[in-house]
Amino acid sequence: MPASEFKSNGVPKIGVYVCHCGINISAKVNIDEVVTFAKTLPNVVVAREYKFMCSDPGQQLIQKDIKEHEINRVVVASCSPLMHEPTFRRTTAEAGQNPFFFQMANIREHVSWVTADGTKATEKAKALIAGAVRRVVLHEALEQKRVSVKSDVMVVGGGISGIHAALTMANSGKTVYLVEREPTIGGHMAKFDKTFPTLDCSACILTPKMTDVRSHPNIKMMTYSEVQSVNGFVGNFDVEVRRKASYVDNSLCNGCGECTKICPVNVRSEFDEGMSMRKAIYRAFPQAVPNAFTISRKGTPPCQSMCNIHQNAQGYVTLVARGKYPEAMEVILRENPLPSVCGRVCTHPCTVACTRAKIDEPINVPGLKRFVADWAVEKRLDYHLPRPKTERQERVAIVGAGPAGLMCAYELRKMGYQAEIFEAQPVAGGMLAVGIPDFRLPKGTLVGEIRKLEEIGVKINLNSPVGQDGLTLKRLHEMYHAVFIGVGAHVERKMKIPGENLGSVWGGVEFLRRVNLGERVRLGRRVLVIGGGNSAIDAARTALRLGAPEVHIIYRRTRAEMPADPDEIREAEKEGIQFDFLTAPKAIHGDRWVTSAEFLKMKLGAPDESWRPRPVPIPGSEFVMPCDDMIVTIGQESDLRFLGNGMSLESTKWGTIVADPLTLETSVKGIFAGGDCVNGPEIVVTAMAAGKKAAISIHRYLNNLNMFVGREQEGAFESNIVTDTEGYLVKKRVPLPAIALDRRQGFEEVHLGYSEEMAKEEASRCLACAECCDCELCQTVCEPKAIDYTMKDSVEKVQVGAIVLATGFKAFDAERIPRYGYLKYPNVFTSLEIERMVNASGPTGGQVSLRSGEKPKSVGIIHCVGSRDETTNKYCSRVCCMYSLKLAHLIKERTGGNVYNFYIDMRTPGKGYEEFYDRLLEEGVHMIRGRVAEVTDWVMTPEEEGKLVIRAEDTLIGVVRRIPVDMVVLSVGLEPRPDADDVRRLFNISCSQEGWFLERHPKLAPVSTFTDGIFLAGACQGPKDIPDCVAQAGAAAAEAMALIDRGYVQLEPNTAFINEDVCSGCKTCIVLCPYKAIAFNLKEGISQVNEALCKGCGTCVAACPSGAAQQHLFTDEQIYEEVEGVLSYV
Amino acid sequence: MSDMYDSGTNGRFEPRIVAFFCNWCTYTAADLAGTSRMMYEHNARVVRLMCSGRLDPQFVLHAFREGADAVLIGGCHPGDCHYQSGNYKALRRFRLLQRLLEQMGIEKERLRLEWISASEGDKVRQVMNEMTEQVRQFGPLRLRPMPNAPHSEPVADLELAVAAVEQGMS
Repeated sequence: MPASEFKSNGVPKIGVYVCHCGINISAKVNIDEVVTFAKTLPNVVVAREYKFMCSDPGQQLIQKDIKEHEINRVVVASCSPLMHEPTFRRTTAEAGQNPFFFQMANIREHVSWVTADGTKATEKAKALIAGAVRRVVLHEALEQKRVSVKSDVMVVGGGISGIHAALTMANSGKTVYLVEREPTIGGHMAKFDKTFPTLDCSACILTPKMTDVRSHPNIKMMTYSEVQSVNGFVGNFDVEVRRKASYVDNSLCNGCGECTKICPVNVRSEFDEGMSMRKAIYRAFPQAVPNAFTISRKGTPPCQSMCNIHQNAQGYVTLVARGKYPEAMEVILRENPLPSVCGRVCTHPCTVACTRAKIDEPINVPGLKRFVADWAVEKRLDYHLPRPKTERQERVAIVGAGPAGLMCAYELRKMGYQAEIFEAQPVAGGMLAVGIPDFRLPKGTLVGEIRKLEEIGVKINLNSPVGQDGLTLKRLHEMYHAVFIGVGAHVERKMKIPGENLGSVWGGVEFLRRVNLGERVRLGRRVLVIGGGNSAIDAARTALRLGAPEVHIIYRRTRAEMPADPDEIREAEKEGIQFDFLTAPKAIHGDRWVTSAEFLKMKLGAPDESWRPRPVPIPGSEFVMPCDDMIVTIGQESDLRFLGNGMSLESTKWGTIVADPLTLETSVKGIFAGGDCVNGPEIVVTAMAAGKKAAISIHRYLNNLNMFVGREQEGAFESNIVTDTEGYLVKKRVPLPAIALDRRQGFEEVHLGYSEEMAKEEASRCLACAECCDCELCQTVCEPKAIDYTMKDSVEKVQVGAIVLATGFKAFDAERIPRYGYLKYPNVFTSLEIERMVNASGPTGGQVSLRSGEKPKSVGIIHCVGSRDETTNKYCSRVCCMYSLKLAHLIKERTGGNVYNFYIDMRTPGKGYEEFYDRLLEEGVHMIRGRVAEVTDWVMTPEEEGKLVIRAEDTLIGVVRRIPVDMVVLSVGLEPRPDADDVRRLFNISCSQEGWFLERHPKLAPVSTFTDGIFLAGACQGPKDIPDCVAQAGAAAAEAMALIDRGYVQLEPNTAFINEDVCSGCKTCIVLCPYKAIAFNLKEGISQVNEALCKGCGTCVAACPSGAAQQHLFTDEQIYEEVEGVLSYV
Repeated sequence: MSDMYDSGTNGRFEPRIVAFFCNWCTYTAADLAGTSRMMYEHNARVVRLMCSGRLDPQFVLHAFREGADAVLIGGCHPGDCHYQSGNYKALRRFRLLQRLLEQMGIEKERLRLEWISASEGDKVRQVMNEMTEQVRQFGPLRLRPMPNAPHSEPVADLELAVAAVEQGMS
């Protein structure tokens, strides 16, 4: 290349320096041969070799040549540029050169250390040097940009490492943001009782540091918070921290703890490793920092989310378990004015979703609701529905006093609207009153609950059919601000067969209505009920109670396809109702009254649109059955005749009203409709949900609000709570008692409710999926009014110069090794559980005891559980040997029993560690060398009776031993936190294969990462004990401060730039840039790079069709030269 | 960590491989393979880029023109790119290049893309060995010299391909 083409530094004169790296390189690569070769390369003026190029004499060699031989470009062939590029750049800079006329050839990591054959290694080294020499010719003088550094720092993780790093930096005057995920700082160390090898009390050395953190003027604690995003670069990180809502105002909370006394929710305490219970409002331990309470609210539990009207089932179930019945009633009434009705006849979607079903059986939620409602009646509890805070003048007419209408009225009244119901029947309640027989739902309870609605101002007009006597829908629409139609479906469908109009052929709805309204209904000897739904069962059981000696239910499919509730079918069967399956009526015979009916036998065919098998008639199977009465219950529809009269309300061909599924608004503005008259026959709670939805719509309509936004969570939805169901004992549902069969003559209610004891027992099965059950009792006792249920998560933005990650570890899950029997045998514990047990403030008050409460006489401690194991973790967890010895000492001290340690190797490298081991041996702790094969309760000798047997090979004496013990302790290893991978991505760092955060260099940069400005402290980088964590935290703090105190960072000048003469303005680069660093200059018609934003990836360069975009240090030409170079001397 | 191949044997075809490795993941992984003393085939020469997104398709074609028998591209795993999404750009270019190579009668396996994270030193060894062996089976890449080429370099239809790539790959 002619000299004129070199952009700077004149004619290239290259010096090549080949390093031996002791024998690291020279053992494989023939250094002399390489040097001789380098001398032959174009532009090379000098080529030398030296034992250690990175040493002072090595560097001086280069500087001398720059001065004496006037070399202007340097190639060093040694280790990886990631290791020593900065060193050699500095060397050339000190000799007065621009440091970027330099290139490294990596002949150690990429050649001598990975190539078996010396000749090949030498060849490869030559090739890499040739590439570097060709490339360096095109290097240019570059300027490193200085960017100022923010002086604040962030520490992520509030364990001992995070605490120490934060305090160190805060003491030097830096403002430190300490982010901790849990409500308190302290981490794992706060759980320990004693620390090895000195046996000093963990709390005594940790809590003063925690208090220092709290009171330090330079530390801003962000507990119960998580880092959400990290942007920017070294010295200038923009971090977003999500402050989770704790629902307790820390500035007001005085830590009195009254709230925990009243909280009814018991959940397993994470701090005590699940060995004790804590409340939903809690403080992890008395010395917690900050010393405030937190409400753990995980969201909407599945029972509540799947309930169409979102009743707080967990809330009242929990309160029942604590015997707080009036409070439970209050919780129920928040969402439901008809508790005793729903407690009896709701088909309970809540129980279908119940998490307890994963263990044994779901909670009987309706049974408990009924218990509370009945208790209220029995105890004459003078309860009241919530009254509106402010009255509003708008009047709403409601057509139909069924569940939809009543619910709509209730919701409207709560908001203060005037609700007036028009009911055609002489009683209110709709189907609840006239469709469900007394033995399932006694009328008294319904009447009582409707009266409570009237008490809060719901006006109910009985015997007021709309559409007659001048009371038309049109008039209601004119007189009222809005109308809700919830007329239900009260007309029985016809079978469309001959003889259907004969006397004594009843429609099911009509039959039940007459009985419910107290009419005398006489039946003959044999009654046939057609249909398979709940109303067929209700009709049949009613007929039986009216004195019919023989009642048949005739259904065209089989029992499995019956839509009726299985419990109800079973009760009907017990009461003596006969079932004729696969039978369908063909014709009804008789003169004026029915005398017999003709039937066809059916068989099951292919599934129909309801996914049930379609019944297919069998030709020639006709038969005749004599009967005196027939009750038809094949489905109901609405009587919509009242709609007529000048209103253009749309209805469907199935006889239902057309209403928007999201808002329930009909085709006429201001008229809403819901329930069975819109959806066809459904269940009570869906009708109530429709009433509630309509009330929300009416409120929006009357206030000119958007009718559609934010309505996704009305009605049933999937809960996103995940509940741990491990470790619970099977405890089946308490059965609901029923009256004896011989008492079922009249209309006495069949199912009795729970007794108080039964209710408490059943309620105590609840797993408290959402933790806080929203009963709001804590609010009532909090004197400083610190509890705020409306608190929301917030995001805080922080700018910091450096970040120290100290996110810690997770203990190995012992259940992953089933042969050690964790969770299978109750007296197998993990070491963390024992740590809590031996702690004076732990669940047993410092006593080591079996689950039965007894003191163990012998304890086996199994080392290396989840460590040094091919099937789990290959690595040594470093702390288990020592903490096992510590626990052995403490257990022996507390129990006086025999303690056996089963170890593979004892690893005691640390100050005073080996001495501690010696001390334990003197104390008489048994040491057995050998990995344990299994823990079993399979006994072989009388001494083993009632014990757990540890089977292991004693490799020192060469026999397999069986050691019977009372208690087994599993010394679990350390693992990366399960979300380490997410955290790594968040901070743009790497993980090792095992998932530990990767340090920049295991020896030379153990607390740095590959991302400048992000440092590591403690066990997030790998297993380590407390002294190592603290030491590393100090190192990380020092590194971070070194960065910040310098005040600036020098950025690698590898940014992209655009040759303005060549750029065609195609804008290809602009969309590719992940940092929006390229802008289009409209005036010039070209793209331009903002160097401050460019991070130097070169993606735009690779895509530029005209070659106008280039990257400093990585220009196309430089790379072409390097490629040609490495290929030219294979 | 014994080496599968005895690279000292003579007479065997030794392919030339150019490897473009991103600075943050794959280059670091290759360094790790070194510090872990994992022996692997010597054939690949690593060219360091800051990001696999810097890989201009022309680099690959240029390497083939200059005598490479195969080209290896190494980048961070999906979702792990130090620069957010450069590796996805590399993937796009790689797919297109493979099709292009096939159309020119070059085995598409001569161009390989691997996601190798900083901790996967062993994967570097494995990929290097596999690829060397595979290319050994293919034999040398013989590009037909253009009859009127000014320097009688082994330039083939590649010139056309380079032009095509320059036209519109992004």
